[in-house]
Amino acid sequence: MFVSQSMTKKLITATGETDILEVGKIMKDNKVRHIPVVDDANILLGMVTDRDIRSAMPSVASEDFDSKEERDKLSELKVKDIMTTDLVTVSPLYTLQDVLLLFQRHHFGALPVVDDKRVLKGIISIRDLLRAFISVMGIGEPGALLCIVAEHKVGQMKKIVDIITAENISMGSILVARHWEEGKRAIFPYLLTHNLVRVKKKLQESGYELLDPMNWHLEQLPKNE
Amino acid sequence: MKKTGFLYDERYLYHDTGSYHPETSERLPAIYQGIKDGGLLEKVKLLKAKSADLKWINTIHSRDYVRRFEEVCLCGNSCLDSTDNQMCTETFEIAFLAVGGILDAARRVMEGELDNVFCAVRPPGHHAEHAEAMGFCYFNNVAICAKYLQIEFGIKRVGIIDFDVHHGNATQHSFESDPTVFYYSIHEHPSFAFPGTGREFDQGVGEGTGFTKNSLALPGHGDREYKQLIQKDLIPAFEKFKPEMILISTGFDGHEDDDMSGIRLSTDWYTWIMEIIMDMGEKYCKGRLISILEGGYCIERLPELARNHIKVLLGEK
Repeated sequence: MFVSQSMTKKLITATGETDILEVGKIMKDNKVRHIPVVDDANILLGMVTDRDIRSAMPSVASEDFDSKEERDKLSELKVKDIMTTDLVTVSPLYTLQDVLLLFQRHHFGALPVVDDKRVLKGIISIRDLLRAFISVMGIGEPGALLCIVAEHKVGQMKKIVDIITAENISMGSILVARHWEEGKRAIFPYLLTHNLVRVKKKLQESGYELLDPMNWHLEQLPKNE
Repeated sequence: MKKTGFLYDERYLYHDTGSYHPETSERLPAIYQGIKDGGLLEKVKLLKAKSADLKWINTIHSRDYVRRFEEVCLCGNSCLDSTDNQMCTETFEIAFLAVGGILDAARRVMEGELDNVFCAVRPPGHHAEHAEAMGFCYFNNVAICAKYLQIEFGIKRVGIIDFDVHHGNATQHSFESDPTVFYYSIHEHPSFAFPGTGREFDQGVGEGTGFTKNSLALPGHGDREYKQLIQKDLIPAFEKFKPEMILISTGFDGHEDDDMSGIRLSTDWYTWIMEIIMDMGEKYCKGRLISILEGGYCIERLPELARNHIKVLLGEK
């Protein structure tokens, strides 16, 4: 679950001297919205985004937005004039959880990944994170979700996992809602099988309650976590 | 009365999935008995299975996969690709009989000997991918049949209606780029049910965009929601597509007494949907329909469901 395993390593970069119109074209051609700016030694200098470029353009509401003077002014603008230099960066050894919390805090779309000498190693975007979490949750593979309500005490998870593995069923993931109701938690194993009938029966025989999925609706989740 | 075929072969029972498996051989005798008890055996043409030519299997499945399936099966392994797919040494041969029986039935429909047919086959097919067995399925019967109709009989537009309670992932994948096959599936929401595919936003790929449609029902939903979805999604889509031939992936596992899903359909809904499809068949395909069994695991309900299915095909309901 480290950034180095999920980041994009095939990078498109710019230098401070690149024209902003050219960077805009590079973004469009490569369908990216964030471009790291580096020097000759690949040291990170800044980031330029499609929003930076749009902000640098004259407003279409102004009368002279397409005049020769405006076009000349734009063609003289370089990446170094508009890039963000006050950057939040992450290390390849950051975990995906670190990055998830950073994205939540700063509302970024992508973060540059650098080593301790600030050499650019990659870029990690929300899209990369989504891919990683889909993989961790196992939902890219065929399977079905169960919801088991268990008492909040030691050993419950082991018993549930034992019942599932005794049925020779592989698990894609297990999510836990820790405060489902007083003294109970809800456990959501994603099971890589089409055949849930017997495992459901075994769980019920062992005293576990299986919830109707319609009771999982968000408004019914506890609000006092 | 329609000329209706009923494909049933006792060799389909030799595909042994072991103990405690929902896709058990008991399903087919239950279906047969239901049709017999309804006095319908005299009214249908009973068809026996034939083995399929490999070239038709290869229209959907890779040669390597077919060889692997054969090898794994003949070695006496009890499953292929996942422990879900329990099998015995006869399974490979029976899977060929399932496809072959369907293609023979399809030929009879195309040549006018039959108007429609119900193929009560095992193993089922709609989860079987190009090179992977999945969800009790080894060969994608319905997808191979669609290819056969196109290649052998020049059918230009095939409509597939899949009302098994699980999404037919492999049928969708087989035709998602193909504008000549419209795949419609109505199933339990993939966030709750196997195989976790068949989202509302899957609408086809490239040239096939607009020729895949998924209608999703939430656990606990039943006749009312299913009827609304069919009216809203299927009927206008087929009115626009105008299929020359309709294939049905018939799954009875959304029934309220079937414990394979959280969907609660009544016995009457299954009659209702077949009447809707019969009407579409008359309107677009000269009444030609091919219904192919997928899931449906409640042994107590299968006789009545199969009987009603055949009655509608015969035009008796």
